Amino acid sequence: MRSAAFRGEGNFAALLVAPSLIVLVVTTTFPLIYLFWSSFQNINLAMPFLDGFAGLDNYRRMMADGNFWHSIGLTAIYTISTVVLQVVIGLGLALLVMRIPAGQWLFRIVAILPIVLAPVVVGLFFRTLMFAPEFGILDFVVRWAGFGPVNWLGSPTPALVSVIIIHTWQWTPFAFLVLLASLAALPPDVYEAARIDRANALQRFWHITLPLIRPALVIVIIMRAMIALSAFAAIFAATGGGPGTATEILNLYAYRTSFVTLDFGYGSALAVALLVITLIVSGMLFYMRTARTT
Amino acid sequence: MARNPHQAARLRRGIVLYAVVGLLLFVWAFPIFWAVVVSLKSETEVLAYPPNIIFEPTVRNYRDALVGGFSILPSFATSFIISGLTTVLTIMLAVPCAYAFARLRLRGKKALGFYTLVTQMVPPVGLVIPYFLILNRVGWLDTYQGMVVVYLTFSLPFAIWLMVSYMEDIPCEMEEAAFLDKANRFQALWHVVLPQVRGGIAVTVIFVFLNAWNEFLFAVQLGGNDVRPVTVAMYNFVSVEQTLWAKLSAAALIAMLPMIIIGFAAQRQIVKGLTVGAVKGGGRR
Amino acid sequence: MTDRKTNGMLLQRRTLLKGAASGAVLLAAPAILTRRAAAQGMDTSSFENAGIDWRQAEGASITIGVIPAGYFQNLEAVLPAFSELTGVNARLEMTPPGQIRQKAVLDLSSKTGTWASHAADPMYYDLYVANGWVDALDGYLGDAKLTGQEWFDYEDILEGWRGATSVDGKPYGIPYDGEATIQVYRKDVYDEAGLKPAETLKEYAANAAKVHSPDSRLWGAALRGFKGAGQNMYIYPSIFRAFGGEWFDGDRMVVNSEEAIAALDWYVKLLNGYAPPGVENWNWPDIADAFGQGTLGSYIDAHSSAAVIANPEKSKVVGKIGFARWPKGPSGKRVTSIWNWSFPINAALSEKDKAATWLFIQWAASKETQAATSYAFDGAYKRSGVNRTSLWQDEKFTGELSRVGDNFIEATQQSFTEDTDVDWRPRLPQWPAVGETMATAIQASLVGQASVKAALDEAQARIDGILKG
Repeated sequence: MRSAAFRGEGNFAALLVAPSLIVLVVTTTFPLIYLFWSSFQNINLAMPFLDGFAGLDNYRRMMADGNFWHSIGLTAIYTISTVVLQVVIGLGLALLVMRIPAGQWLFRIVAILPIVLAPVVVGLFFRTLMFAPEFGILDFVVRWAGFGPVNWLGSPTPALVSVIIIHTWQWTPFAFLVLLASLAALPPDVYEAARIDRANALQRFWHITLPLIRPALVIVIIMRAMIALSAFAAIFAATGGGPGTATEILNLYAYRTSFVTLDFGYGSALAVALLVITLIVSGMLFYMRTARTT
Repeated sequence: MARNPHQAARLRRGIVLYAVVGLLLFVWAFPIFWAVVVSLKSETEVLAYPPNIIFEPTVRNYRDALVGGFSILPSFATSFIISGLTTVLTIMLAVPCAYAFARLRLRGKKALGFYTLVTQMVPPVGLVIPYFLILNRVGWLDTYQGMVVVYLTFSLPFAIWLMVSYMEDIPCEMEEAAFLDKANRFQALWHVVLPQVRGGIAVTVIFVFLNAWNEFLFAVQLGGNDVRPVTVAMYNFVSVEQTLWAKLSAAALIAMLPMIIIGFAAQRQIVKGLTVGAVKGGGRR
Repeated sequence: MTDRKTNGMLLQRRTLLKGAASGAVLLAAPAILTRRAAAQGMDTSSFENAGIDWRQAEGASITIGVIPAGYFQNLEAVLPAFSELTGVNARLEMTPPGQIRQKAVLDLSSKTGTWASHAADPMYYDLYVANGWVDALDGYLGDAKLTGQEWFDYEDILEGWRGATSVDGKPYGIPYDGEATIQVYRKDVYDEAGLKPAETLKEYAANAAKVHSPDSRLWGAALRGFKGAGQNMYIYPSIFRAFGGEWFDGDRMVVNSEEAIAALDWYVKLLNGYAPPGVENWNWPDIADAFGQGTLGSYIDAHSSAAVIANPEKSKVVGKIGFARWPKGPSGKRVTSIWNWSFPINAALSEKDKAATWLFIQWAASKETQAATSYAFDGAYKRSGVNRTSLWQDEKFTGELSRVGDNFIEATQQSFTEDTDVDWRPRLPQWPAVGETMATAIQASLVGQASVKAALDEAQARIDGILKG
């Protein structure tokens, strides 16, 4: 019965998939091949006389490049801390909001706003209106509260903290909304049973809520990690990777190498490295998801 | 058990709860609120220390951003055209593709699915130069078609994956019923499947539009005089001579206005779009 | 009034503005609508004196990349006069300042010819020339068919700027607008403390120490601290040269010499000691804003920053500003910036487009257009960075400008004539990478990521690597 109805399915499917695939091949595969190709070349606009095939030189250079490892470290710090903060704050907020009987809509609306803003706008806003030492409001508040002047974007550690705050501000609402929705979808009866078992709030959360929303949590972590790894515009607008190289995550380092120092070959190699890292991290996270859910 | 102490404790807890939640609400709303405040100040007031809370609001910044020498209105139109075209094309391509991925047997489907996922992960920084060279070759730099094609590269994989989750939710029986009715496959897709995923399409439309509207890196490198989206036009207020913070805030808020409106109006769809897959327990089986 | 207008250099008609009721300001709205497009007529008769056929490239269409800045907007406003004169359709493309170099390099390297010319960073000429991306202009200048030599008077363009846009003695770009860095100080504050503008860098730091009182929100001094070849690596080279530093030892570039260490040490100590918190992230608009708010005793930066600090709409210190040349360094030298935006010719163009582009450049850099976009401009913003010695000596240009503050014209003029130094910054094709490396090192030592010596040693190692390839 089914096989009869679905005869010729392959052809039909191919017909449906083909247009998208052709577009993707044309628009991403060529550039991707070019990217790989140039990562094996010497292409330095400042020294055109050296252009030519470089073999693995760019990758060898990368391994010995302190800036590269520094940016990898920053990428790790940035990704892990922003993801953890988003999930913890987002989940905490979702649990709190679940308990308020009225006014949830207000939170949804406020939470939508950061998500729809362009990161470049967010970076610019925070750079000046929030963090700038003289007229940034956050700086003013911190000083007024007696914590003394903090040179937010001007010294290495606070600058890193600042870009993490910016990212967390913009994307925690995402985690919040997803987790709020999955909490709302939980059947109320499981809690009743637990209450009868005299489980306290923490136990209930740990043994019942958490396992139930684990799939949603994992999805949030995956999506947030991907976005954090490819963060660019907000940091670019807020600190440009500085001071020094204090906020120069791999993405920005690749950008600087290609576009500021004009070393396209090495810049391409750095971009490839970022792609590989992204693939590995997402692969690991996807593996974790399937391993846990089945 | 005495009821009163219990109630009092509950009340106290309620107050604490609202206070905490209210504080967090404030923290999240504040930066945008402050941007609005700044956009209503004069440039001198923006720089005042301590910050003025009381001031005479002016709409001059908005007027300048809209009709001044650097009006962002033309860029507004540009952004609408680019984002709109990108969205339409993306949906037309992604919906059938997602349907095939979700519902039909196709050799190499897994590999193809993985491929679309990978294309989404390529760091844009690595693509700018190749795009520039390619668009240059075909003469599409600083054109609408050039920008739309570039935007398709990230909107299409994203849309396909989003739509797949929706397609998987429709019960198979309906199509099978349609086939028994001798509806051909296209008719089944058109009349049976599409109406079922209208909500999903709405969500996808919103996200694709949003991402295209907010893009900056490609816009600045591949656009130009003819095609200058709002995210780039905004930078006219960050000149080398001085940064006009109040005007920049006004311009940025205007540039983001369509997004904010969409955010409010399509709140439910956005939440759905964000949570698709996540809520129903891990999405794809 | 648009932003450009209101922030123009002290030339608003204050009385008129003050007298005008708010209603009248609203009535002015239609003028805003048309302001950018509002082409200004120019007296084209003087162009006939050039004695060349201005219409020789008629029908050509060229785009010139520029940044959104008042001096290019004024040029845009008078641009129709050029099209009328030549029959060439020329357009300016406003590009964010952070991206213009990259766009230009992409365009040039791919031989696209999208930008016939662009506002070029003088430090990029070595790179352009090494790649053969731009045409040498001596041929154009020497061609009587293309150039009205006497009328154009290339030699009248400020000498330092001509040097900055030439490579091995050959011109590759024609300066359009630029600046000198000068000392800016608060007259009232200095008077009260019995100080005079510094003659030496040592005195400068001492002055900063004397007026420094953060408790009353007055900091001693500020310089650019933001990381970038055009930010901190714009101000540090002046100090380095004033300390007697040399960029090259034979063929080898040296950035960690004793002079370099002393120079950077001076910079770091000055800023860490007497600059406001956050200076590490300041570019010159931030400095000018702070000075305008009355929180800075002094700064050293471009003369054109006077537009902000002398603008009553933005500044609280109007009338309290004094200017002076750079202080001397231990070597006895004062070294000012020779920064300017200049126009090269893209080598990838057709012959006809090249001719059209040259006509544009010649027109834009001519005395007439320089005047029409500065003092003779019909708008509140008038350029202050004109490219010609003759204009800097012309009452009509200097007259209103001199009211910005004490000694403004004199300090700027003398800087142009006496304090320029072609080797202000190291000129080599690898400048983008070298400049960026230096900028990172300077900022790293400023924020304490590394000691001055360690930062410069690391920069030296990196630069050795860059130049080795």
